[in-house]
Amino acid sequence: MHTCKVPPLPKLRLYRINTGSCNGCDVELAATEAITRFGLDRLGLSFTADPTQADLVLITGPLTVSSREKVLAEYAEVPDPKITVLIGVCPISGGAFRDSYAVVAPLDEFVPVDLNIPGCPPRPQAIVAGIAKAVQLWRGGEHPPVSPGPEEGSLTENLRGRMRYRAEACVGCRICQHVCAGGAIRFDEEEAGLGFTLWHNSCLFCGMCSHYCPTGALAPTREWDLAHRQAEKYRQVEKGVVPRIPCSACGVPMLPVVPELMKKGYRALSAETARLQTLCSECRQVRSLEGVKRCTT
Amino acid sequence: MHDVEATVARVLEGVLGAQRGEPAWRRDAKGGMSGWYRLGNPEEIPMVARALAGLEARLSMVSAYLVPSPQNAIGREIAYHFDLDGSTLTLTLELPLEGARVPSLTQVYRNADWQEREFRELYDIEVLGHPNPGRLFVDRSLEPALFERLIPYSTFINGANGERLWREVQAAQEEVAP
Amino acid sequence: MSRTVITLGPRQLGLEEPMYFRVQTAGDRVAGLEVLAGQVHRGLEHLTLKRNFYQNITLLERLCSLCSNSHPSTFCTALEELAGMVVPPRAEYLRAVADEIKRIASHLFNCAVVAHIVGEHALFRRVMELRETVQQTKEAIYGNRMDLAANCIGGVRYDLDAGRVGYLKSQLEGLKAPLEELYRVFADDPALAAATVGVGVLTREQAQAFGVVGPVARAAGIDYDVREKSPYGAYDRLSFQVAVQAAGDVRARALVRLVEARQAVSLIEQCLDQLPEGPVALMSFPEIPAGEVIAKSEAPRGELIYYLRTDGTDLPVRLKWRVPSYPNWAALGEMLKGEPVSRIPLIVNSIDPCISCTDR
Repeated sequence: MHTCKVPPLPKLRLYRINTGSCNGCDVELAATEAITRFGLDRLGLSFTADPTQADLVLITGPLTVSSREKVLAEYAEVPDPKITVLIGVCPISGGAFRDSYAVVAPLDEFVPVDLNIPGCPPRPQAIVAGIAKAVQLWRGGEHPPVSPGPEEGSLTENLRGRMRYRAEACVGCRICQHVCAGGAIRFDEEEAGLGFTLWHNSCLFCGMCSHYCPTGALAPTREWDLAHRQAEKYRQVEKGVVPRIPCSACGVPMLPVVPELMKKGYRALSAETARLQTLCSECRQVRSLEGVKRCTT
Repeated sequence: MHDVEATVARVLEGVLGAQRGEPAWRRDAKGGMSGWYRLGNPEEIPMVARALAGLEARLSMVSAYLVPSPQNAIGREIAYHFDLDGSTLTLTLELPLEGARVPSLTQVYRNADWQEREFRELYDIEVLGHPNPGRLFVDRSLEPALFERLIPYSTFINGANGERLWREVQAAQEEVAP
Repeated sequence: MSRTVITLGPRQLGLEEPMYFRVQTAGDRVAGLEVLAGQVHRGLEHLTLKRNFYQNITLLERLCSLCSNSHPSTFCTALEELAGMVVPPRAEYLRAVADEIKRIASHLFNCAVVAHIVGEHALFRRVMELRETVQQTKEAIYGNRMDLAANCIGGVRYDLDAGRVGYLKSQLEGLKAPLEELYRVFADDPALAAATVGVGVLTREQAQAFGVVGPVARAAGIDYDVREKSPYGAYDRLSFQVAVQAAGDVRARALVRLVEARQAVSLIEQCLDQLPEGPVALMSFPEIPAGEVIAKSEAPRGELIYYLRTDGTDLPVRLKWRVPSYPNWAALGEMLKGEPVSRIPLIVNSIDPCISCTDR
């Protein structure tokens, strides 16, 4: 009998490139490196300051015009094969800085990307979970990733993770789109009704949309592990359609008035408010005026 | 509180004469003072700055801008903001849209250096007598006076990147739902 | 003596962000310095003109993650002043809580970096661990470890119920003794003293001439703190002693920050004890009239000033701000003059420079 000894996996080296970030992802990377309980070490990883020694490249920030040349030269120093990981929404989509004269993001136009870790910034646990997936890619998927350490001391009740949309509560007022600094929200007139799309790779996780949403149709979830393969980049969406219904009086197609809004307007729901809900704004006005007449006579 | 109003009035009168009037002072919700004063011509700014330096005023910031809006410029101004022990005095200087030039304050305030280099690369304003008038933040590959020249250019590129990304998002959705 | 010019980048300078220096040397000493900025220039001031006020609150929070709360809160103060809005008292206190909690995390990060550069790796880890308490607290209350999303026009968009007040108080309690201890280490430890005393000196006169602000100015004896000179928000009802040191060296800057971190704990406690009842924000969509206004605050790195000009629409005509790091860079030349080249990273980090703030 002999004991089967698995040789330890060689340590992988991580190299960081900042392409012009707000330093959020970089400071969190520094914390991820310094705090052992986040578990980078358990994944068999260590950071290197020498690009020629690296296996994985972690990139932060929206690529700026001024940093482009240096960044691309630095990236080229990392020998192939390598796994490229983008951290935070800035390198993935340009984040809040897209469309500036000084920014040339997204980064995948310049280098081949393997994995995206969205967030603004992603928490260390999300960074480690994402890097674990990158390690899996590097090792050909044979070795399942080690799960990141426990949530020691973390309270995640209020965590601003992936946004969730409920079409049944949406009135189509578009205030969410108006206040979104990331340009992450779109409304489209579709055959079935009003289409809503939120692209998580452009989302800044600031919660302005849910703060100003009058009916609670948008709310942050606690889902924070959003890392995905590059091929999935444009599929990271939250979608919904607010269907049009015909007005119960005149038949014109309209967006339904959701109970949340009726509650705001009328404080309590009743049979009367339920009838009003199925009316278009003009018929509702007519109905309300009749009500006023009844009251005053 | 009234000290700063009186002191500034005295200094301005000393430099510019009595007939020019006093700054308009405002108190914010917490009683913080901000004074607003319009200068007559670019030569006045180093004169007033020198007098303010004598009061140990600190040059806090310089804001250049187009009025009323960058989309439809009808004028150009520079606002020099000074800190006087917690109160802020803003001296506003009107400049022409074409051929705007101002004297450098670097002889009076060492920290005017970056402020002047910055508005010089973002706006069509020449700074006279600056010791090192090169680019500061803006890459050399970009056109100078970005806040002005970019306007027509930006209507072309604005949102172009975002639009392209949204088309990709849309295409990916169509793939998912055949 | 041999005179050469060397270029140093973020790797040599021990910076988290890209910034480059052209250093003239005479022998092994620094003779002159040119700061080569712009790597993190994202055209932010221009972008703010294309975004409405609501979008700008979030955009400005992404200017820099270390002082991310100072920007939106100061911007909101400017808008509120223009609109003549009187922010509810509870909101003022909650803004101060957010600002001070960011101050602790920011100061501790710099303290950790300084420890790292002088080769005190155990101390570095200890400070980073201590900072984790603050990171976890921010995440628990605000939902993110860096960007708090605390501000809106007319107030804040978070509240503290009794449970969260209790949680925050116990977290603060846990910071007190370690912060005390950390101050003693930076004040008394012989190895740290040898590395930081008399190093990178900026005299009071030089500090004044360069118009430096924040801990860099206060470490050189300038008694100026916006929270005390022109109080905003809740600061007119909170008490603290402006942290001032006389030596103007690397050690003095570290000590100012550590005093301020301890004070921040006390300031948050005062906020929690005084926290008035009432709403946390005024109406959601105020009209912002045409006008111009100045708003200031004491960010972790010092005085932050905003100039806002509006035309009655919800896009700014001009939004200009000057971050505290901005004047402090130029004074670096004075601090480095005559110092050995090997001390450059330490002295540079002693001003706690923020590059994303500077480049915008």
